[in-house]
Amino acid sequence: MIDERIYQQFCEIGRDLFDSNMISSHGGNISVRLGDRVIIKRRGAQLGRLKPHDLIETQIEKNDSGVALASSELLIHRTIYQMTPALAIVHCHPRTAIAFSLSRDEIVPIDNEASYLLKKVPVIWEEFASGTPEMAKNLATTLQSYKIVFLRGHGSFATGQTLDEAFHWSSTLEESCQIALAAKIINEPFIEYRGMSEGYKKW
Amino acid sequence: MNGWAGQILDIDLTSGAIKTHPLDEKMAHLFLGGRGLGARLLWDEVGPGVDALSPENVLIFTNGPLTATGYQTSNRFSVTTKSPLTGTVLDANSGGFWGMQFKKTGYDALIVRGRAEKPVYIEITPAGITIKGAAALWGKRVRETTKALGQNNNKRNVLCIGPAGENLSRIAAIMNDGERSLARGGPGAVMGSKNLKAIVVEGKQRPDVEDPEQFKFMLYETRKLLRASPLTSQALPEFGTVVMMNIVNNIGALPTRNYQQSQFENAEAISGEELTDKYLVKNASCWACPIGCTRISKTDKVEGEGPEFETTWAFGASCGIDDLPAIIEANAICNDLGMDTISAGSTIACAMELTERGQLDSDLRFGRADLLASTLEDMGYRRGLGAELTDGSLRFATKYGVPELSMSVKGLEMPAYDPRGMQGQGLLYATSNRGACHMRGNMLGLEVLGLPKLIDRFQVQGKSSFVILHQNSSAAIDSLVICKFTNMGVADEYFARVLSAVTGVKYATGDLIKVGERVWNVERMYNLREGFTRADDTLPPRLLNEAVAAGPSKGWVNKLEPMLKEYYRGRGWDEQGVPKDKKLAELQLADLKEAVR
Repeated sequence: MIDERIYQQFCEIGRDLFDSNMISSHGGNISVRLGDRVIIKRRGAQLGRLKPHDLIETQIEKNDSGVALASSELLIHRTIYQMTPALAIVHCHPRTAIAFSLSRDEIVPIDNEASYLLKKVPVIWEEFASGTPEMAKNLATTLQSYKIVFLRGHGSFATGQTLDEAFHWSSTLEESCQIALAAKIINEPFIEYRGMSEGYKKW
Repeated sequence: MNGWAGQILDIDLTSGAIKTHPLDEKMAHLFLGGRGLGARLLWDEVGPGVDALSPENVLIFTNGPLTATGYQTSNRFSVTTKSPLTGTVLDANSGGFWGMQFKKTGYDALIVRGRAEKPVYIEITPAGITIKGAAALWGKRVRETTKALGQNNNKRNVLCIGPAGENLSRIAAIMNDGERSLARGGPGAVMGSKNLKAIVVEGKQRPDVEDPEQFKFMLYETRKLLRASPLTSQALPEFGTVVMMNIVNNIGALPTRNYQQSQFENAEAISGEELTDKYLVKNASCWACPIGCTRISKTDKVEGEGPEFETTWAFGASCGIDDLPAIIEANAICNDLGMDTISAGSTIACAMELTERGQLDSDLRFGRADLLASTLEDMGYRRGLGAELTDGSLRFATKYGVPELSMSVKGLEMPAYDPRGMQGQGLLYATSNRGACHMRGNMLGLEVLGLPKLIDRFQVQGKSSFVILHQNSSAAIDSLVICKFTNMGVADEYFARVLSAVTGVKYATGDLIKVGERVWNVERMYNLREGFTRADDTLPPRLLNEAVAAGPSKGWVNKLEPMLKEYYRGRGWDEQGVPKDKKLAELQLADLKEAVR
């Protein structure tokens, strides 16, 4: 039986992801870790319209009947929980960030907020963007050193202690990319305002 | 191998032998230093069943790879020993200047074993290492001893015990730099049992850093983050840790009158605001600390460091006392006697409840601020009722047939957060390896302050995951060794990157947390080897059965059992709380498993 409080957290973050255009109607998935178990969105459920039966509980280390119902990206979530200290994961499809990921191997923010919070976001790539153990391991390995990582052309995986925290990193990245896009449109010379900003690229 | 000095100093007080051993490089990478290195060394040094106050117990003083590098708060150090209060593994750590100076002597650890025939002190300076007679110091209080041995913050630093340690009080602290303390669990009694009055250090070996450019960037970023956090840039500097008094009281989680209530009606009178307004002389800082939470307070009778939040609570709300000058004076007395303020205050509160129930014939009643000073003096010198109180509340309450009135876990008195109003904190207390402790992970950040984000403090399901992460994180921080208050502004990922910059060994955030998990499991295995079981992972019955009567936590008890089950599973332990072979192998601790089978 999943605690009503946990259900409410899923509903709030799911709705926020949809309302802020970070996912399409049925896109994205989120999960939290409970000891040796994971609670994850049901495959095909709409994050913006979650019902109690849309939260699926299964194990992190081994299969049970829950895997028949869980999000198709359960493998990635499990691998992240196995390899990192994450307690919550938000996977979404932020549109501007996806556009930026198509042309670079890392997204280095130029705005203050994302510089402060994220420093740098690696962009990684595999031929099969989800569902393979190799992809999952590559992603989880990168998340050992970064709080948010991007799959080129696909979307972001952010980790945190809570869904709230992982959503924070996700929305910060998208906001940063929107600012960077606006700066490109303005197309005027960048004036560095941050101290020791070279450090961000080496982060 | 930057970050580590590469040497362990080993002094046998029985024989007078002074040796050095190389620090095992693999052990350094797996356990870092501080609490982690201490726990692993204790496992090897002190086998099962050793009397904590016998010459067979050891004191292991450790610094860490970040100590003395100049990284923010890199002043701390640890002592690890078997606790005479709880019989568990014990690590206590402290700030100030001594740890920085100790690192500069060129050692990662100092193991003190045996027992000197007569009182002695150890002096470690560039001129050599000597064991000197301390007959003239024995019996002196902490301030006088510290001064007599030439304390000079940046050059020569003194660590010592006071009368409480000499008299083998099981709640005796080791004090450093005058008024900093390695307080919990009675390490001062272990030092006293060895006839060791003090350790003086002078060093000149500033540690090197592998990647100075990255280290400089991390210093810059950390400074920025600590300034940006209102907790580390405003609340702690302005009010000290006592800033928590009103916050914790307002949510109904401030244990009052020996945990009979969870709100204190006069909390405002003993708050950080009151302390700052009326008694603060100035702020002070440990070495390399930009936060500066130390208070120098003054009353008509005393002037000195403190009091901290836990101390103010222990002598305040816990004892039903709202007389802040009396609390400041009680703190000063404890510092001078060398005694843990949390255990002292909580044990007095226990005696007050026994008196009010008619189970103890004494004048100690809730609110009797006038008796604090004399009671503490009696505890330090083992006089009268003080002789019964000075070994902690569990032994005291057990003597009077009511062990359930000791508000302790594994014999260590609980700090200032009521687990009925903070469910996760209850699980934290129940599973803490040295007994109830708020410094072995603290749910204050998540359940009250919203660090990094606020979670529901009454939520039960899923709480174990947070507790496990924070226990592991705190064990890692204690092994670096830096101050946990930096974690209020700076996330673990920064510490991993600083560690990498200093040592040249690549540590991802997950690697650092894994070190913490390894440390936690070594400590757990130590306790299991000593005979502790699942039954010891519990809380006082009051917190499990007596619902809070009034206030924001009204109607709540702590729902420990479901959290504990989830906790064991999440830790990879069996239903009895024993780490599974797979977990020990994963943590490179397979060599420990036979000892507890």
